[in-house]
Order: sequence, then C-alpha cells, then structure tokens
Amino acid sequence: MGGQSLLDATKLRRLATRIRMHATDMVAIQGFGYLGQAMSSAEIFAVLFGGAIRIGHDRFVLSPGHYVIALYAAAAETGFLDPAQLTRYGTDGSTLEAIGSERTPVADLVCGSLGQGLSGAIGFALAAQLAGEDRYTFAFLSDGEMEEGQVWEAAMFAAHRRLDRLVAVIDANNSQVDGPVTSVTTLEPLAEKWRAFGWHVAEVDGHDVDALAQAFASRHDGAGPLAIVARTEILGRVRSIPPTVDGHFIKLDGDLKAAIMRELEAGLA
Amino acid sequence: MREPPYPTVLKPYGAALVELARRRPEIVCLGADLTRQTETDLFRDEIADRFINIGMAEANMLSIAGGLARAGHVVFVNTFGVFCTRRCFDQIAMSVAYPKLNVKIVGFMPGLSSPGGPSHQAIDDVALMRAVPNMTVIEPADAIETTQAVAAIADRPGPVYLRLKRGEIPVIFDDGHRLDLGKAQVVIGGEGCDVCIVASGMMLPAALAAARALVENGVSAAVLNVPVIKPLDSATVVAVARRSRLVIAAENHTVVGGLGSAVAEALAEAGVGAPLRRIGIPDTFAEAGSRDYLFAKYGLGTRDIIEAAWRGLSINRPVPVAPVIAASPGAYAPV
Repeated sequence: MGGQSLLDATKLRRLATRIRMHATDMVAIQGFGYLGQAMSSAEIFAVLFGGAIRIGHDRFVLSPGHYVIALYAAAAETGFLDPAQLTRYGTDGSTLEAIGSERTPVADLVCGSLGQGLSGAIGFALAAQLAGEDRYTFAFLSDGEMEEGQVWEAAMFAAHRRLDRLVAVIDANNSQVDGPVTSVTTLEPLAEKWRAFGWHVAEVDGHDVDALAQAFASRHDGAGPLAIVARTEILGRVRSIPPTVDGHFIKLDGDLKAAIMRELEAGLA
Repeated sequence: MREPPYPTVLKPYGAALVELARRRPEIVCLGADLTRQTETDLFRDEIADRFINIGMAEANMLSIAGGLARAGHVVFVNTFGVFCTRRCFDQIAMSVAYPKLNVKIVGFMPGLSSPGGPSHQAIDDVALMRAVPNMTVIEPADAIETTQAVAAIADRPGPVYLRLKRGEIPVIFDDGHRLDLGKAQVVIGGEGCDVCIVASGMMLPAALAAARALVENGVSAAVLNVPVIKPLDSATVVAVARRSRLVIAAENHTVVGGLGSAVAEALAEAGVGAPLRRIGIPDTFAEAGSRDYLFAKYGLGTRDIIEAAWRGLSINRPVPVAPVIAASPGAYAPV
C-alpha cells in the first residue's frame, strides 16, 4: 500500500455501519433519497476513507454524484467534515447537496452528470505523472453509468497510457433508475470487459472489507490501471429494508428509519 | 382562463403520447433510464413493442432515433432536458437536425424546477436547441397546451424540442384553448399598455400574477404567451411591443440565448424602441434546492417581474407587494 495503513477489519466494519447510520439520518430529513447508494457502497467508502486514500495527497473522484451522501458520512466519521453539517443535507442553502457539485467538500471532483468521472480522474493521473508526483488517483464509479460510452473511451485511454497510479472502484450493485441494470442492458461480463480493455482487475464481494482492502493492495507499478469490481447489493444487506422498495430512491418514514437504526446499532454492539 | 391556484393533472404528456401512438403505428418511444420520470411508463405498459429503453446513453439514443426516423418512424425521445441537449449536441445536429428527421426530443425538468443542482438543471437547453438549424423549440405553459403539443409536433415535419415541466402540471387555460404552433397569444390586455410581459412555460403563471398586481396598482399590463420559442411569432411580439412603453421577457432559463434573446432580436430587427428587461437566470449556474427557494433566489418570482416593471417604468411610488397565492396539495401557484 502506498498510503497510511488501513484500520483493522473490525474498525472498518464499524465505520461502514456508521456511514449507513449517518446516511439514514440524512435521508430522513426529506423522507426520501439516495439511501440505497450509501447502503451498497458503505464498505467501499469505509475502506477508501479508512486508509486506502491518503486524503490531501491522493486524489479522489466521485463519478456518480448522487453517491455523495456516502462521502459526507465517511468524511464526517473520519474527521474531514464537521458532523454537525450533516443535519443540513439536501436542505435549501446547504452546500451538502443531494447530488454533488462544485460546492462539494473533501473530494477533488464530483460529477452529477454520469459517466464523466473516470475521464476527470485520468486528468489527475496525467497531471501527477507530468509533475513526477507519487499521488494515486481513485475514481469511484457505479455500474449503471457504464452505459455511457464515455466510460469506455476513458477505460481504453487509461490502459493505453499505462496509468499505473489510477484505481477505479466500481460499485456493482445492479441498480439504476428503471430497475436492475440487467433489465436495461447487459454490462456483463464486467470484469472481463475491463480486463479486455487492458486493466488489472480485482473482483470482490463489495461488502467484505478484508477482500476490498486486499483488492486495493493488489495494485503495483507496471500492472496498468487497477479496476476493482465490487459486487454489492443496493440495500447493503440491511434486512430491515423491504426488498420491494425502489432502491435507487428510497422512501423512508419514521418506522422504517427506526427499524434500520435498531438493526445497525445492534451491529455496532 | 382560470384563476390561481390552478388545478393540476398528472402525466398529460404521457397520456397524450399513448393516445396518439395507438392511432399512429409509425410512432416509437425511446427513453434513457428515466421511464417513470418522463411519463413514458404509460407507453411502456400500453404499447410495449414500440417502447425502447436505450439506457443511459443519450448520444447513442439520438443517433438511433435518426436511423429509426430515416426508416419512416416518428420518434419521441424522452429524458431530462439537461441530458438530451448537452450530452448529445453533435448527435442532434448531425444525426437528426441536418437531415430534418422526424425526431421529437422531449426534455423534462426545465430550468430551476429541478432540485438536483447544476448537473440536473436544464438552464441552457432552449439556447442550445434554438441554435440548431431546422429545430423547432416549444415550451407549453399548461396541461391543455402540453396535451395538444403532442399531436401538433407529430404532425410537424422535422425535428422538435419539446420542453416540459415534470410532475403535477397546472391547468391554466380553459378547455377551449387551442395551441397554434404559428402564433403567440395575447392572454391579457394588449391595446396600448405601460408594460408587456412576454412569457413561456412555467413563467406564464408568474407573469399573470404580476400583471394583475400591476393593474391593481394603476399600471396597465399585457401578457403574451409564447409556447413556440422558435420560430418566434415575431409579428405578434413586435405588434404588442409597439403599443407598450416597456417589454419584459420572462423565462425559466438563462437570460442568454432563450426567449429573452429571441424577443430582443425581434424587437431590434423591427426597430421597436421600447426598452426590454429580461427576467431569467442571470448567466450563472445555480445550486440544489426547492423550486420556491431557487425561483426566489435567482429572480424568477412574481415579485421580480413586478420590480422589473416598476424600475423599467421609473415609477416613484413604493413597489407593490407580490400576491402570495396559497396552493393546497395538488394545486399549483407561481412563486
């Protein structure tokens, strides 16, 4: 690992649970929102913010901007954002917008229009190369946005340029607005596609912090850019959320919030 | 015309498209992962074989639409306005507009009606589409016009951009109202006025409320509804402007390149001397927020139209207070 040492697995799992709890609180402000995205990506953000990224040195790009709720939660838990700000999530006048923008703190780039983040990350990686810096660039992507052709233009280019210090982590939760990604288009075989485009690929259970940490550690100079295909579930294996909800945009009433919080708090004990 | 708060209807576009497509087998409906949000869940459920979800791939979608249109289809392309104009501009120009194909691009969530911030707010879609040769640009003001626009644009040869509000759509006009793609319409006043307010889409209710407040305070006001922004009915705009001391253009869009610019071009070319004030987003990206918050912050409210009239006419009395129209759930009132 080029960065600071990762927290141990117990602490990473605890961080993931805290991310889910913050996200539940934030979505409860309006009663609906991007809760599923935080549930599916909680372990990924825990590993990123729990040591994979050297915050302030490495670059972090969040391509699907509606995942920014998980970024806020992770940043608040790790000291990069005042937790008191989370209570203003998605409210009029707040910089903690429900879809990330140029006002978003902590990240180097957040894209609300899908499919553009990997290209921006390549820009950071090229800049580091030009400057002779040892920075890594981490790009968080979602599987649905890979329907945009620009992602594959970027994938082709990054491998062609052998951008060893570029890491794309893909939240493969099989969820988009119209339903499961598999019902709209066929992305699979995802890992094989990235491999065929010239990337070093690690495919892991995205809810397993050990597997994720090992995947981040598998990058090495000369291997080309690293793509981590993190297989996740949109509801993040939180059993108190009924599987029938619209995972892209969850309605959260007081009863459901209480049930989720009970389940998550039990996991912390 | 009805009085505010206006009753609303759900999904007038989606219902009208299904109704038309049942009679017109050449119509196909394309989407980009926003099926319910673009009211085309109705089409998907009723006419599944002519509904094609392309996925989040707008550039691909527009060039596919061009191919379908070349093969004889009338293609309705549906997504948020921000995505079907910015993301695929070259595909619109080369695959659709240059060959004058029957592709009807339907963009939802205009301007600051989207809470999603700059990535989801179509603040420049009218400017972009106006700039494309062969393109017609339409923004209906209410559910009556929206319903009629569907058949009207299907019958109009060539590409069309239809800009639609999402969700509960107000009913402003009476049932007998007729959308005319060749005509702007004087809906209030017009025979020699202090101020003429030219409005489209979501700004019509605010223009009407502002005009009423102005008239109650001794300022005569006309309101011109412009559902067809391109080609603009310059003759009507110029005729009303010639009888007015001040012209105000009101649009839920950047002041650059949209309705206000179109009106400015028409007035200047006709040599109309009345000054023009533009109500719109003041050449800036906005932010996330509720409609009421954003319309107030970025100057799209009834109050802003009244103030523009007051300042433009150099009236020394205090500015009238904008009426606050309460809307119960399911009803619509302007900000």
